[in-house]
Amino acid sequence: MSQDVRSSETLLPSRQSLFARYPALPATYDELIDERGEPRPEFRRVVEFLGQQTPEQVRRSQALADLALLAQGVTFSVYADSRGSEKIFPFDLVPRMVSKTDWAHLDRGLGQRVRALSAFLDDVYGEGRILKAEAGAARVPEALVRGSKGFVPSLVGVKPAGGVRIHISGIDLIRDSGGVYRVLEDNLRTPSGVSYVIENRLVMKRVLAAAFDQTRVHRVDHYPTRLGDALRSVAPDEAGDPSVVLLTPGPFNSAYFEHSFLARMMGIELVQAADLFVSDDRVFVRTTRGPRRVHVIYRRIDDAYLDPEAFRPDSLLGVRGLMRAWAAGHVTLANAPGNGVADDKAIYPYVPQMVRFYLGEEPVLEQVRTFLCDRDDDRAYVIDHLSELVVKAVDEAGGYGMLMGPEASTAQLAEFRDRIVAEPRRYIAQHRVELSSCPTWDNEAGRMAPRRVDLRPYIVTGREGPWVLPGGLTRVALIPGSYVVNSSQGGGSKDTWVQK
Amino acid sequence: MIARVAENCFWLGRYLERAESTARVLGVTHNLALDAELPPEQCWRPVLITAGEEPSFLERFGADALEDPAQVEAYMTWDDANLSSVVCSARALRENARSIRDVVSLDAWEAINDLYLYLRGERGRADWVDHRQGFYTRVRSGTQLALGLMRSTMLHDLGLDFIWLGVMLERAAQTARLLDVHHHALAGAPGAVESAVWLTILRACSGFEPFMKRARGQVGGRAVAGFLLLEAQFPRSIRYCVHAAHSRLNAIRPPERVELPGAESAARLRALDAWVAKLGADAMDAGRAHDVLTRVVDEIAGVCMELGRELFGVAETSAPPAAATVAAPAVAPVQSQTQSSADAPPAPAVGSESPQG
Repeated sequence: MSQDVRSSETLLPSRQSLFARYPALPATYDELIDERGEPRPEFRRVVEFLGQQTPEQVRRSQALADLALLAQGVTFSVYADSRGSEKIFPFDLVPRMVSKTDWAHLDRGLGQRVRALSAFLDDVYGEGRILKAEAGAARVPEALVRGSKGFVPSLVGVKPAGGVRIHISGIDLIRDSGGVYRVLEDNLRTPSGVSYVIENRLVMKRVLAAAFDQTRVHRVDHYPTRLGDALRSVAPDEAGDPSVVLLTPGPFNSAYFEHSFLARMMGIELVQAADLFVSDDRVFVRTTRGPRRVHVIYRRIDDAYLDPEAFRPDSLLGVRGLMRAWAAGHVTLANAPGNGVADDKAIYPYVPQMVRFYLGEEPVLEQVRTFLCDRDDDRAYVIDHLSELVVKAVDEAGGYGMLMGPEASTAQLAEFRDRIVAEPRRYIAQHRVELSSCPTWDNEAGRMAPRRVDLRPYIVTGREGPWVLPGGLTRVALIPGSYVVNSSQGGGSKDTWVQK
Repeated sequence: MIARVAENCFWLGRYLERAESTARVLGVTHNLALDAELPPEQCWRPVLITAGEEPSFLERFGADALEDPAQVEAYMTWDDANLSSVVCSARALRENARSIRDVVSLDAWEAINDLYLYLRGERGRADWVDHRQGFYTRVRSGTQLALGLMRSTMLHDLGLDFIWLGVMLERAAQTARLLDVHHHALAGAPGAVESAVWLTILRACSGFEPFMKRARGQVGGRAVAGFLLLEAQFPRSIRYCVHAAHSRLNAIRPPERVELPGAESAARLRALDAWVAKLGADAMDAGRAHDVLTRVVDEIAGVCMELGRELFGVAETSAPPAAATVAAPAVAPVQSQTQSSADAPPAPAVGSESPQG
């Protein structure tokens, strides 16, 4: 009791803090507020500063932030929306903070994970050592790899120019009820979202500048420079002054803002597939002065649409002959085609053993226990405990193709049971993790409320090895009680402050 | 420069100029109608003719609607099906700019986006209802801000050259069409009403003050038409615009670089520039003006077609651009809003697709 009085005195010199009587979620780790309702010590100054704002001030800052994002056209398109309109990615101005100690741990673990996954890709498109390793601890079942939709058999034996396959990765982390960071999934194909990391920071500086006086935060705006350097470093050896382009599906793609943003920030050209052509296994861009050679393509188009010759003969999209040019080593594709096998959700349970097998190290990062419906024992368990589990299709993203067992109706449970029995290889299941929460502004209630978050850090790999951007995209489930943070399903984002 | 990007730049310039020009013509006509003692139809029909929209308007609303200024104004400002309307031009302007966000500077993009959001939102509607002249001024200053920011914040290289080429060709054609609509008035005797009309034409080209400095006298048809056709130092005269367009094209494709694509476009524009340069005051004689102006509009359309073929690679794609005719302004082959994401090629999201060996 006396403790409460004292704490509210320190928190509230003049008025009630916006964090007072914070309605913490049960059995959930909160990023900023501890179990006693106090700010976590390393974030105390920022939390107290924010707590002293009036609801009107926060509303005004929030409105300014929304306006700034709209004015700059920081928008995404929503496929389900038939008007094809653009929306801003909802932004919450309470930062998600990561302490220096936690970040050192994540930085080490993420770098390690990317190195292991890279070695795995080199291996499955090379000798396949891990497929032939001793049964048990090390081996990844060959059938699982060959059965992955992301595995492209025709690419076996191809060594990418520059030697890197995972130039850009986004590894999704969550934090369990004990505050332990765990990898939820890897994104090794065309991970998106980094532009929001940079834009969110810009907006925060604009609308809440004084909050930056309360702590020291790593900058994030050098990401494009680091990415540009990495891309140039992996150009084919024959390129003297490498020409780098960003290949986008075009302005109607949901991530077009990000494509144009990164191209502008790196000072490289934004191209569409029709702008490129291949001649003599070399890639050229059509210009007003004739063809010009291209050495590195940061492609934001999925494998399936890269080259109709290699993947989809019926597709009008893509660049005919691109895969031949890549296999011949005359162009670098970032990321390399075929990476999907390594971020397949059914391969994910094997990543810790990849770390041990290829690097001879113990994994730094924890994962989430995963049941592979393809395994008989696991499937039996999943079927029996469906209402307690989260089931995911191995080849879907964006929160689609997913069953949240604890919230599902009987009909939904029955539907997924049938689907799992029909196509066991397509599904995995995990116990629902009580994702950590972070205080988030509730505009209607005029106070701070806990909303669940995840974190996607970005890792850039050039010839020198992986580099982790000190920051990341914190996605937040804005709907009260929701566990789904995807922007397509009511998610928003926050600025992520990694402390120095 | 990438051919598609060059094309987007070119159309960005054309739509920017078109949005401004339409807003200016509407504002000036609105003003004229207040006290010129002309029947509404005589004030507003020329606006539709200049935009090439008279047939579509009559078909949709009937001839009686010409007597209703509000209907013409709304049609030329807000109509989503009228590709010459202010809102459609602003949207096409933005779509073109959005396709080349890596070329357009952030400042210029924000100005373009802001204009679009203004027109799409409640502020634009409210201003149009409560404060019509303020609305037109706001649209014009938005386009001028974008144009100024492009010139002051972008590299002066090919991207800006293509934008400026588009601006100048669009402006030359607009001035020519505007004059052409009134060419019959050149034959008439000067009177109070005629002077009001010629003053309006001058104002529609932002040319009143420059004209007064040059003409120092009576506002007559011949003098105004001659000024808008021939004044080499007025940035909206046909002579100025054609010449400026020609120099941009020379920067894009230097004449001595005969190996570069664009020979036919350059030849046609050079010929037009030379021909306009030689015209004298008699070009605006009542019997000749229409032919001269028609030739200007036709030749500009021809140059645009050649640009599409030689520099933008239109022949290689499936959708050729609609060529301009005497009456109708050309419409960009790409990026109209009617092409919503539903019509767009399936745009793959992260991890939603997988290869098939």
